[in-house]
Amino acid sequence: MGHGHHQIEVKQEQFVFSPKAKRFSIILMVVGLILTGIGIATMDNHSNSHDSQTVAVASHEAHNDASVHNEEHGTQAAAAHEEEHGNVPNEKFGKRVVFHHLDKPASTRIWANMLIVGYFFLMISLTAVMWYAIQYLANAGWSSAIKRVPEAIMTFIPVAFVILLVALFMGKNEIYHWVHYEHLGLKPGDPGYDAILVGKSGFLNSNMLFIFPTVLVVIWYVLMRKLRSLSVAEDSATKGDATFFRKSIKFSAGFAVLFGFTISVVAWLIIMSVDAHWYSTIFGFYNFVTHWVTMITIMAFIVAYLKKEGYLGIVTNEHMHDLGKFMFAFTVFWAYLWLSQYLLIWYAQIPEEMAYYQIRFEDYKPNFLGNFFMCFCIPFLGLLMRSAKRNRYVLAIIGSIMVIGHYHDVWLMVTPGVFGTGMTFGFMEIGMLLLVGGIFMWWVFTALTKRGLIAVNHPFLEESVHHDVGV
Amino acid sequence: MGILDKKLSLRNRSKMLIGVWEDEDQLVAAASELAHAGVHIHDIYTPYPVHGLDRIIGARRSKLARIAFFCAITGLTLMTTMIWYMYVHDWPMNIGNKPVRFTPSWAPVMFEGTVLCTAFGMSFFFFWRNRLVHGIKNEMLDIRQTDDRMIVAIETVSGMDEKSVLSIMKNGGAVEMREFENGVQTVI
Repeated sequence: MGHGHHQIEVKQEQFVFSPKAKRFSIILMVVGLILTGIGIATMDNHSNSHDSQTVAVASHEAHNDASVHNEEHGTQAAAAHEEEHGNVPNEKFGKRVVFHHLDKPASTRIWANMLIVGYFFLMISLTAVMWYAIQYLANAGWSSAIKRVPEAIMTFIPVAFVILLVALFMGKNEIYHWVHYEHLGLKPGDPGYDAILVGKSGFLNSNMLFIFPTVLVVIWYVLMRKLRSLSVAEDSATKGDATFFRKSIKFSAGFAVLFGFTISVVAWLIIMSVDAHWYSTIFGFYNFVTHWVTMITIMAFIVAYLKKEGYLGIVTNEHMHDLGKFMFAFTVFWAYLWLSQYLLIWYAQIPEEMAYYQIRFEDYKPNFLGNFFMCFCIPFLGLLMRSAKRNRYVLAIIGSIMVIGHYHDVWLMVTPGVFGTGMTFGFMEIGMLLLVGGIFMWWVFTALTKRGLIAVNHPFLEESVHHDVGV
Repeated sequence: MGILDKKLSLRNRSKMLIGVWEDEDQLVAAASELAHAGVHIHDIYTPYPVHGLDRIIGARRSKLARIAFFCAITGLTLMTTMIWYMYVHDWPMNIGNKPVRFTPSWAPVMFEGTVLCTAFGMSFFFFWRNRLVHGIKNEMLDIRQTDDRMIVAIETVSGMDEKSVLSIMKNGGAVEMREFENGVQTVI
């Protein structure tokens, strides 16, 4: 408000990871572990037995040529195959693709779930860095009071990446049918030769699968460490020293540009390639937004928790309101991208594009529609009102639905592509989320204790103290 | 007093005290002092938004959000009805062999219609409420409130100690004070 104000002094706060919070985090892990265990114990070891119940016989020609093909390379191979025979997968035009439950070893479900949960939390920690970078690039003032929260979330990158790497290493042959295809060494003319997979093999190969994400995550991790160290160095600098702030802007710019261009490629490589015959150019961006809105929700949870425990004295309802606005806004944006991807494919009706949605819409209908409800309808209506965004309890309830919804969204991107029909979002999926969620909570809260909760020397801290969105 | 338009009137207000400020920080301090003294501030007119004033004068929340909601519902209903009438009821069309029932292709139309109605509705009601719509008489207390002066309008109620109010205003940095009575302003 200009010159009439006195320079205010904001006291540093030190977060203590309370025994109660530790207990909660351990409970999450234990419950997650138990649920995962139940999931593994009740898992159908002979997934083939599903076939007779869930699957009608594939259309005749497709079955003749593609039965081997089908089981080896997945449903989309069949879709592409049908297309070669001129069969458009639509009832009105005659032949349609019939999806199978694919015969995979029982352990595949564990690796696929590890892949989902590892990717989910990796993207959450990466989008936290992106959030942090954007605050610097946009010269945002209001968020400087809560900037230690994304700073803590981003430390989870290595843990999530290790989970992801284990899943990739153990399950790559079963999860990605192009890795399997790679080992067959087929030549043009061989039965089952797949021109689409061969055409993509420059990008989709098992060396690329490990090297590309690893190199990128290492670069992102180094930039994240740099940003974090600049932030903590600022705390002990003299008041008014903007050197660290300026340096942070430079590194943020570097990160934002690099991340913005590369995150899509990682999403294509790790998630979209589960359905290797299918592609969508908006997929990477859609993935980013799914995790971005989840990360903001988790950030709101942590800020609300810290407020409740009496920390962050300078954070008011105004800041919570803005976090709620972000949750709401990106919920709408998520729906926009969700529909954009769906609508164009629905309208164009090109068989190899349809395959992705056909299995999800026909064999996973409750999941497909439930996903839209959890990620859009409920948060949209729930967060529409101003009073809802300013209410911690409403944010907690709607936010929980959003986190589960977006996790389920990633599950729905992967599972039908890996297993075909007949999978459920069951104990193991929820268990994995809770287990890694508990580890995430422990890790992030420990990271919060490592430095003061408030960036006392941040040049815009005073702006954040006075932040007011009006009546 | 060439700039001061004496013809401007605020109907239903028979008597008010008007203070003119040049500095926003002084204005905020004085307004909060006035509010603490129990003075009812009718409104404050500033050329740009000044943070905190809304809370000081106890302004109620704008109804614009509610209007936006109803405009959105109107737009959504209008567009859904329109596309249903055109595309299903009156003249069903076969486009790419898609069904004519409710389909994803309706979504952009419904969305755009909602946004359009909301944007136009909000703009209209905003201008109307601020008396900027053509044909509505503008009731500006002081034309300089659109330039570089901040105008405080205080309602005078019976039993109000006008002298102390004026002294708070004077000490709070008011560069000019006027009395407003039946549409006529006189400098104090």
